[in-house]
Amino acid sequence: MSTRTPPAGWVSSQGHYAGAVSRFLAFVIDVLVSSGLAALGLAATALVVQVVTGHSVSWDRTNIVVAIIFVAWEFFYFGYSWAASGRTFGMAVLGVRVVRADGHGLDPWRGVVRALVFPLSFLFFGLGFLGILVQREHRALHDLIAGTAVIYAWDARAARIRFLARDAEAGPGGR
Amino acid sequence: MDPRERLLSAGKRLTDPAEALAQRIAERAVDLIVQALDINQLVQRVDLDAVLGQVDINTILRRVDVNALLAQVDVNALLAKVDVTVLLDRVEVNALLDRVNVDALLGRADVDARALIDRVDVNDLIRRVDLDSLVQDTDLGAVIAKSSGGVASEALDAARSQAVGLDQFIDRWVGRAIRRRQAGPPAPAALLDGEAES
Repeated sequence: MSTRTPPAGWVSSQGHYAGAVSRFLAFVIDVLVSSGLAALGLAATALVVQVVTGHSVSWDRTNIVVAIIFVAWEFFYFGYSWAASGRTFGMAVLGVRVVRADGHGLDPWRGVVRALVFPLSFLFFGLGFLGILVQREHRALHDLIAGTAVIYAWDARAARIRFLARDAEAGPGGR
Repeated sequence: MDPRERLLSAGKRLTDPAEALAQRIAERAVDLIVQALDINQLVQRVDLDAVLGQVDINTILRRVDVNALLAQVDVNALLAKVDVTVLLDRVEVNALLDRVNVDALLGRADVDARALIDRVDVNDLIRRVDLDSLVQDTDLGAVIAKSSGGVASEALDAARSQAVGLDQFIDRWVGRAIRRRQAGPPAPAALLDGEAES
């Protein structure tokens, strides 16, 4: 019997309100991915402009146009993801998703509203995110405004079975 | 005294001793005869079949009030005297079962299989299955491992489960720090209802 067998506690978490760590990690992944895509897009645009016009373009981070493009992109990235599927790439990786406060599927417009009010949670040193820690339903300020909640949406029971299956396959002294 | 009574009295004085003597002689004679008789030999000479042949058992039984007879029997006391273990030891169950035609028995039983299955809570049944031991102790584990293999899925499962563990750990400590008296609902109402139904 392997010592890697996971605790059964999280198996029953499916559908429960997601906690701070899962949501923070999902956000970090999203920021990295969206920033990477934005940088990639800007680099591709600069390359195309250089090829077409022959002028080299350098994107300055302090440039207001670049800042506006970046903010618009971030809004599109989060807003479209939430409106379309209730989850961003980072949320999909961590197995969490946005739902309506009552637990039903997210309406597209509510996903857009969530993306619009999302920056409000960053105000006052991110005070709006404190709700994820202390609020009974782990809802941040933007969740309360948009009427949404974040839940665990991955099949933990199946994951546990996969865990056990791998351990059984590896044998008593495996891994 | 009346002469008739005097005559009777004199007669009685004579007959009483004579009667007692006759009684003693008769008893003695019977004793001697019984001692002289070989009862076994006598019984052997009796044709019991012939005697019983003349007895009409049915007539006798018809005259017996069986209910009254049974009413006098203390069945509990009778059963208390029965050693059931010994009785069961003498029963050859396998031979008994060999003689039972199970198909015919089930055919006679009025069992509505569909109604029977409808009454079974399959979800509860599945919840009771020890999946851990099922996966670990059977080839099912190998099948699942082969069908769901992949470093990515393993890493994803590990990352998610670690994150959930940390979420629960932090939630416990925050609850203690802010002295949360009453824990909130674990999930939105619609999903809680879904849990109750499943």
